[in-house]
Amino acid sequence: MIPATLDPSPAEKPPANPPAVKGSRFKERVKDLSVWVIAAVFFLPELWIFLSAFKTPQQILAVPPRWIFRPTLQGLTAMAHEGAFWTYVFNSFFITFTAVFVAVGISFLAAYGLSRYRFRGGDFLMFVLLSIRMVPGSASVLPLFLMYTALGWTNTYAGIIAFDVMFSIPFAIWILKGYLDGVSPRFDESAQVDGFSRWRTMFRIILPQILPGIVAAFIFNMIFVWNESLFNAILGGNTVQTIPVALQSGLNTINGINWQYIASLSFVYTVPLMATIYFFQKYLLVGMTFGTVRGEI
Amino acid sequence: MNDDGMPRPRHMRQGLSLKAFAWMLIIPVLAFFAIWNVVPFLWLLGLSFYRYYPTFGQPPKFLGLGNYISLMNDPNVWERIGTTFLFMVSAVGIETGLGLVLGFVFWSRRALWGRRLALTLLFSPMVLAPVAAGTFFRLIYDPLYGVVPYYIHMLFGVPKPNLLGNSHTAMWAVLATDVWMWTPFMTMMTIAALGAIPKSVLEAASVDRLKFWQRVRYVMWPYGKFILLLGVILRTIDAFKTYGLISAMTAGGPGNATDVLSITLYREGFVSFDMGTGSALALFTLFIAVAFTSVYLYFLKNRESEAVS
Repeated sequence: MIPATLDPSPAEKPPANPPAVKGSRFKERVKDLSVWVIAAVFFLPELWIFLSAFKTPQQILAVPPRWIFRPTLQGLTAMAHEGAFWTYVFNSFFITFTAVFVAVGISFLAAYGLSRYRFRGGDFLMFVLLSIRMVPGSASVLPLFLMYTALGWTNTYAGIIAFDVMFSIPFAIWILKGYLDGVSPRFDESAQVDGFSRWRTMFRIILPQILPGIVAAFIFNMIFVWNESLFNAILGGNTVQTIPVALQSGLNTINGINWQYIASLSFVYTVPLMATIYFFQKYLLVGMTFGTVRGEI
Repeated sequence: MNDDGMPRPRHMRQGLSLKAFAWMLIIPVLAFFAIWNVVPFLWLLGLSFYRYYPTFGQPPKFLGLGNYISLMNDPNVWERIGTTFLFMVSAVGIETGLGLVLGFVFWSRRALWGRRLALTLLFSPMVLAPVAAGTFFRLIYDPLYGVVPYYIHMLFGVPKPNLLGNSHTAMWAVLATDVWMWTPFMTMMTIAALGAIPKSVLEAASVDRLKFWQRVRYVMWPYGKFILLLGVILRTIDAFKTYGLISAMTAGGPGNATDVLSITLYREGFVSFDMGTGSALALFTLFIAVAFTSVYLYFLKNRESEAVS
């Protein structure tokens, strides 16, 4: 009765050829090539960082810039042998996944409530949620820091995770409500006529239909939380540091900036995210349509 | 009369009422909202009426509206607002323009060989931590060791420029980095917006041999505008509060060439430890942010109500 599918556009397969084939094959090849060149140009600065992770400190600062060199693992191994590195990695993964999981979970509940029942002030809540996102972090970090200090929440996992949950909620609710509004309330009604409880209706009937939205909300917030460094540096102190915070403090060593360390850390840290955007690219694109995909992405 | 105003068969009213159920569902979010937003907000509001330096060990002194009055009379504050808006408007403008072009290019080449990888490469700047990007761009722009000054020197024969150290170029160097990082986001939003057009409508347009601008006007805009405008809103929000990138690249300098509000705020709070002025400025920023968001949402809502759907 209800298609429960992960695939956002199950019926449509990409055509083997573009819809309107104009010009010769050669012309198409040239166009394809230029599109690839654009993508490569955007990747170039990042490639430079990645290459630096495999250079010696002298090679990183070499003038003229070295594009071809004998790669070394010296930077990466030095980093792996440093005890704190693995703590940063653990913290980054643990905090990101826990916070985003909790945030998407409670945002789904709230988005369902907001979508199915017209709260007085519901629109206002959605507006406030968006406004929160507009407040510069450095404006809200001050009172949060004072509050955390007063309550003794600084330097704790729970404190950081709870903050990251709040940080992720607005966007998750916005995405999920968009998807839920696109699912007709008739599904809810007929499920309840069939004797489903409200909880079962929500999880068994509605949830499967908005899975792409859930995945999209998860990925977007994962990227945000993974990269969050300001609050983490101030609320997490020295005990609960994630990789971006470590990057920031790696800047202020006595011997000047250790570029090899920065490059290696940036490399290790960015690869999981690039893998995510490769494997979940469809959800990244589809998620941004807020459930309104009708054509091809 | 039902609680949600919709007529429903009687047996559905059994069990939890929709109203009670919906309230139950939003309570966790409201709790988070109260603790992590309302409490800090009130705290901020309270502090903004005091003179308070936590490092001096003196109790806060009540000033009334003193902090606000000195802020309003401070020409620096208005200059920072100007810098923030210059950065925000230029960044969002360039990124939207470029993003639209790239979005069209990638959307129209769905059969591109290795498209998924190409898009991954294109999107990759977006997922780089702003701190990491900012830090590394400092090296890339470095007048002695940097790649960019080296190639500028080679191509144009001018001496290697100190892009971040010069107050005339620093803003543009930071802006260029922001454009590099966030144009992919607008590209993504453009692809998403174009994906919202039903296939049948596009086919009809191609059967009717509509010209390109006609397609944009009558086919793409009506379906895609909501997503595109949302992209512009989100980008505006983030450009307004850019912190990591600028703090890593210039920390507001040289002089105050790139001193946007978020940098000023951080300095007041965590360098000068002037909590009173910092809070007043934070509330002032908050006010600008909310005003901005409401204008945008009003615009979006009006557009949405006339959208084809």
